[in-house]
Amino acid sequence: MSNKPASKPDGWGQRLPELPDGGAGAPLQKDLLNGVSRRHFMQATGFAFIGTMMLGCTAVSEEEALPYLEQPEGVIAGRSDLYATTCGGCSAGCGMLARSRDGRPVKLEGNPDHPLSHGGLCAVGQASLLGLYDSHRLRAPVMDGKASDWASVDVALGDRLRQLRSASGRVAWLGAPITSPNKRARVEEFLATFDNGRLVEASANSQMPIAEAHGLTHGVATVPRYHFDRAQVIVSVDADFLGTWISPVEFTAAWSSRRRGDALENGFSEHVQFESRMSVTGTKADLRLRIAPGERAAVLNQLVRHLSQHAHRSLRQIQDRPLTSVDDAQIAAIAARLWEHRDQALVVCGADDLAAQTLCNAANELLGAYGKCLDLAQPAHHAGSSETELSLLLDEIAAGRIDALFVDGLNPVLDLPAGAALAQRLDAMQLVVSFSPYEDETSAHADFICPDHHYLESWSDNDNITGLMSYTQPIVAPMGATRQLEESLSMWTTGAVVPVRDQVLASSGGDVRRFDKLLHDGFEMRDVRQNAGNFRPDGVHAASDPDASGLQLVLYSKVAIPSSAHAFNPWLHELPDPVTKSVWDNYASLSPATAERLSLQDGDVVRVALGQDAAVEVPVLIQPGQHDSAVAVALGYGSVLSRRFEGVGPGWIERKPTVGSDGLVGASATAVLAFEGGRRKFAGRSVTVEATGARRELARTQDYHSLDVPPHLAPEGGERRPNVQETTVAALMDPHFGEHAIEHHDGGNMWPVDHPYEGHHWGMVIDLTLCTGCSACVTSCQVENNVPVVGKDEVRRNREMHWLRIDRYFVDRDPATAGGDRSNGTGNGDVDVSHQPMMCHHCDNAPCETVCPVLATVHSDEGLNQQVYNRCVGTRYCMNNCPYKVRRFNWFEYAHEDEHENLAMNPDVTIRSRGIMEKCSFCAQRIQEAKIVARQQRRPVADGDIRMACQQSCAAQAISFGDMNDPESAVARARDSRRHFQVLAEIGVQPSVGYTSLVRNRPTDHEGPQHG
Amino acid sequence: MASEHVLQQRPLIEGNKTPGQVTADICRLLDGKPSGTWWAAFLASASLLGLGAVAIGYQIMTGIGVWGLNNTVGWAFDITNFVFWIGIGHAGTLISAVLFLFRQRWRTSVNRAAEAMTIFAVMCAGIFPLIHMGRPWFAYWMFPYINARGPLWINFRSPLVWDFFAIATYFTISLTFWYIGMVPDLATIRDRLKPGLRKNIMSFLALGWNGSYRTWLRYETVYMLLAGLATPLVISVHTIVSWDFATSVIPGWHTTIFPPYFVAGAVFSGMAMVLTLMLIARKTMHLEDYITKQHLGAMTKLMLFTGSLVGLAYGTEFFTAAYSGNKYEQFTFLNRAMGPFAWAYWTMVSCNVITPQLFWFKRVRENFLIVFILTIFVNIGMWFERFVIIVTSLHRDYLPASWADYSPSLVEIATLLGSFGLFLTLFLLFVRFVPVIAMGEVKGVLGIGRGSGHGS
Repeated sequence: MSNKPASKPDGWGQRLPELPDGGAGAPLQKDLLNGVSRRHFMQATGFAFIGTMMLGCTAVSEEEALPYLEQPEGVIAGRSDLYATTCGGCSAGCGMLARSRDGRPVKLEGNPDHPLSHGGLCAVGQASLLGLYDSHRLRAPVMDGKASDWASVDVALGDRLRQLRSASGRVAWLGAPITSPNKRARVEEFLATFDNGRLVEASANSQMPIAEAHGLTHGVATVPRYHFDRAQVIVSVDADFLGTWISPVEFTAAWSSRRRGDALENGFSEHVQFESRMSVTGTKADLRLRIAPGERAAVLNQLVRHLSQHAHRSLRQIQDRPLTSVDDAQIAAIAARLWEHRDQALVVCGADDLAAQTLCNAANELLGAYGKCLDLAQPAHHAGSSETELSLLLDEIAAGRIDALFVDGLNPVLDLPAGAALAQRLDAMQLVVSFSPYEDETSAHADFICPDHHYLESWSDNDNITGLMSYTQPIVAPMGATRQLEESLSMWTTGAVVPVRDQVLASSGGDVRRFDKLLHDGFEMRDVRQNAGNFRPDGVHAASDPDASGLQLVLYSKVAIPSSAHAFNPWLHELPDPVTKSVWDNYASLSPATAERLSLQDGDVVRVALGQDAAVEVPVLIQPGQHDSAVAVALGYGSVLSRRFEGVGPGWIERKPTVGSDGLVGASATAVLAFEGGRRKFAGRSVTVEATGARRELARTQDYHSLDVPPHLAPEGGERRPNVQETTVAALMDPHFGEHAIEHHDGGNMWPVDHPYEGHHWGMVIDLTLCTGCSACVTSCQVENNVPVVGKDEVRRNREMHWLRIDRYFVDRDPATAGGDRSNGTGNGDVDVSHQPMMCHHCDNAPCETVCPVLATVHSDEGLNQQVYNRCVGTRYCMNNCPYKVRRFNWFEYAHEDEHENLAMNPDVTIRSRGIMEKCSFCAQRIQEAKIVARQQRRPVADGDIRMACQQSCAAQAISFGDMNDPESAVARARDSRRHFQVLAEIGVQPSVGYTSLVRNRPTDHEGPQHG
Repeated sequence: MASEHVLQQRPLIEGNKTPGQVTADICRLLDGKPSGTWWAAFLASASLLGLGAVAIGYQIMTGIGVWGLNNTVGWAFDITNFVFWIGIGHAGTLISAVLFLFRQRWRTSVNRAAEAMTIFAVMCAGIFPLIHMGRPWFAYWMFPYINARGPLWINFRSPLVWDFFAIATYFTISLTFWYIGMVPDLATIRDRLKPGLRKNIMSFLALGWNGSYRTWLRYETVYMLLAGLATPLVISVHTIVSWDFATSVIPGWHTTIFPPYFVAGAVFSGMAMVLTLMLIARKTMHLEDYITKQHLGAMTKLMLFTGSLVGLAYGTEFFTAAYSGNKYEQFTFLNRAMGPFAWAYWTMVSCNVITPQLFWFKRVRENFLIVFILTIFVNIGMWFERFVIIVTSLHRDYLPASWADYSPSLVEIATLLGSFGLFLTLFLLFVRFVPVIAMGEVKGVLGIGRGSGHGS
């Protein structure tokens, strides 16, 4: 007892006091021995009889629980282990820790040590777990449309390959960008066995021009590594770097390090965003300027023009091309800010336009940003080939000049323009091999489908960034008879399968001990640098004339569904888009003014047409803050992988299907994606928008989108709800900030303080400045807490089950001049956006607790508001009385029939049945686990031991959680922040969740970027 | 005193009835086969009841999701119907107990039906708290019974528990009161029947009534005591129902005016429903002599009074919101009057504030048809009052992000219709098997032996 922890012991590890005479049962035993009286006989028989009866009453289903014959080393049933690996959700390659319980991965978390992601993991990464357990995944190779086995496939395919080799067939590999050196080696070896083998790597989105532009301006065709943490002034032209652009987790982590409102001494970056649609990044910008898609190059042109005047360097390609959407003086002011901070300035561009990209490079060159805020010496490796190579390959396929095609990680029939024609060519081709884990639009036309492992079953090395090698190791044995692509290739190249582990081991250097360490760490840093090239002014393309006329198409990727490869994932479909809050659909976003001009309402189906034939029919979504010329439609929808969702959600008489009339979720917008001059043009093409007369209701988790109440219902002084508080850097500079600003008008507490919380008192603080709304936390919470998917119709009925939601508010920057119809809170003008994660506030005076008739929601002595599922009778009074409306009711028995998918369930969290209430538990199971571990180690729970699922996934580290009683804890310090406030503190519920106010780096008068 | 005066001026029962005629008139309804009208009404009501039963069965099989509720609006039709029916039930107790204690003898013609209505309405009301639960099969957990679950007990802080007790008490007292009041009439029926099963049942139910002075004395005493017991319930039940809302933190619910406001509203709606039913019964069962303009006058005046109280309460709510300076509260009331549910709000105001004011006019009060139509409006208005309170307060509360719309599902509408089906079915059975007018009491107001009646 000498090393007894200082905090209050909570029961475990304490010995029960010894009973005299050998325990509680002893007196009866003694009496029985001393001679049985009639009374004792009756007691004993009565006890035995009742005992027997009780046994009969217990409903124990017979289950066999067999112990391990031999306990595997290091495996303890019920304890989870973490394995370092690399996320395969997209090409960014974030480091992750896979939490394995009893031999199966149940949760994916960011690896806090990883130099790219710093512990964050996006929603797509979180949800990729479900891909492992997807029961629709192919479990065996498919040959000529029939399930087969690897031996037969290898024999049959071997024959075909021999024929190709002998006939000098033209072979092409069309795949996603390869980020693994080992895989690249295997692919190149394999292609080298053909006389005419070529490799084309293409991404489904618009990142390839970045590398091409650097090839033109710097002589190195690569995507640089961006260092947003080094940038004081960030100007982004249509680059959604916090949401979908290149490596959003890495960029969010870096960006957030310069956005800390309580550490202004570290610098607080200024962020200017030019964009046509509203992106996640745009919602966080200090200054957001709306431009037409056709003005993107012109913005950069003007920026470069002003910068070159500052730098006294002139570029002959640069002429004055003023925009109509943005006043040139404003761009000049932005250029001046950039120039002022030229050592710490960064310009990024997400446009597909090569000219815009080269101008962006020119701007960075003028600012001297290369080597500082962006780096070509240690570039990223996920750019793929060029658009030109892609279009050339497609042209050759169309011309019938390709004999064999290998397709990996892409679904070209769906994702690339003219997919239907491509499908026909595939049928005519000698050999088509797909490595897709699904029978999708492309693999349906393949002669062989050789399904690759899920990345959680795979071995791999990944150098997504030069100088950083991340490793992928299998967390679980393959679920089906799939084979990793590298093994298939080794078979087809050498005639024997080289186990992929051996390949990766060899690729890492071959030292097993070192390899073990690498696998344990998940990554290693290597000092590798490449030639950074030199700036070639001739490589800069001249911008075309700015065009802000008419309606212009913007094809983009959503945060939740970055590509069609994720179309199988119900967690991602049901993840509300951070900006639109829409689920289970894609749509044409229009600005309020444009929608009004075209007499369109939310949910009106429109035909977005590119010329005569190419068109997509999607519902309208009215998006405040969008440029009036833009028509934004998300790619990645309308995949056959979504056909399975026909029956998703509870069935009842008024149920409406989640899928459209074609049986698919959303519509494929690649119908209006086309090559223009050998390059896919994602944005800027003129389109027509016509109402079809049909309607398709959008399902959105938020019905009202503004902090401003409808003007005609606003009481004087109550026009804006105070639940999001905002400030500026300038205001924070005032040392007296916060002394008078935020008053908690608690009105005094009429109850005695009889719950002192002597031990722990858990609390959470969320920094609204850092929260980007990316929604990784929402999915993380869903995975951690076994939150069911309910389908589009139920979301439309406002019955989504997410325990954690992110409230997103638009506020007119100037209500007086916003114009338009403000009855929904916003008009036609510029809007400010705020994101507010909202979950159970674990109120100390919880309104839900007093009203429950059966005590199904009660308070713990550590401040947790606990929901007792099996006590709940479902009166929903608690839900009504919750001022935050965070309680979730099980309206139906939600489906848990898919035995494979059920393996992704967290065994520490109960599955809830219908008719009961549930809500955020502050990850009670994580608190418990941390307490047990601390107890085993005979120490008190330390700050940081407990990380909520939402907090863990947050790339911006916006969430702090801990013991409010510990003055040194992160949460206690956050609560002491001058910016700290509590939502609805005025009604006296004393929430345990607080927020720190949203800081924007802008002058308080809302005018321009210049200040200070 | 005034009523005493009125009593002497105008007969309560018209048509110069003798006690024998009263017995014959009332019992005629119980003898013989039911009329075609009765059958038609019964089949219609029973069909509605069947529809409701199917809807409830489907809902219990499938889940609360078959209603139009959502994460923001956790109660709507269910609790609206509950409060509506509880309110309907109020008139019965008021008429039978309070007016009895105040010696309002005009009540004798309507008290039996009103009490029956109370019981049926409370039965209808009782369904909703039961079925609105996510797991109604555990409804008994609301009851503080001795259990083997260790420290698990009910939460005495929850208004739903208070509700449970209030309604259980109310139902028990109302049922007892109704039954005790019926004993003399049951004995009358017993005496008229030929030997057989029906007579045996009636003999059992009549508790050995022999009409002696001693029996009457005991009866009057018990009746008086029960009336005394039931009187506070008139206030308590709806007060406690209103606490379901008043103790919450939701703007529009969290208000201290609710108990008197709800009680007034309940009496108002109850009177309207009594009148609706009695006017139908009067016409179809030829009770014109028993339900007279005098009854109409007294009850419409009571409605005028309680209806005006309700109107005052509506106004006071707005004043409180404006005067409080609470922006959430102010918004809630502006949203009620001008928001998405403005149509419901103005339906409520038109029906409940304007309608009763017409009762200032004697010509309106004494016109059976107009009164009938107006009571229908009041019934509608009072249903909407509860709907407005529940739904408009919930659908837009504190955080704009959680604001949501609400529209009922077909199942919800079927359940509401089903509750009317249950109510009407029970009422139709009641008029067939039980004397619809308290013969024993009516005979007491005929004026025989008073010398001041009209019988001379």
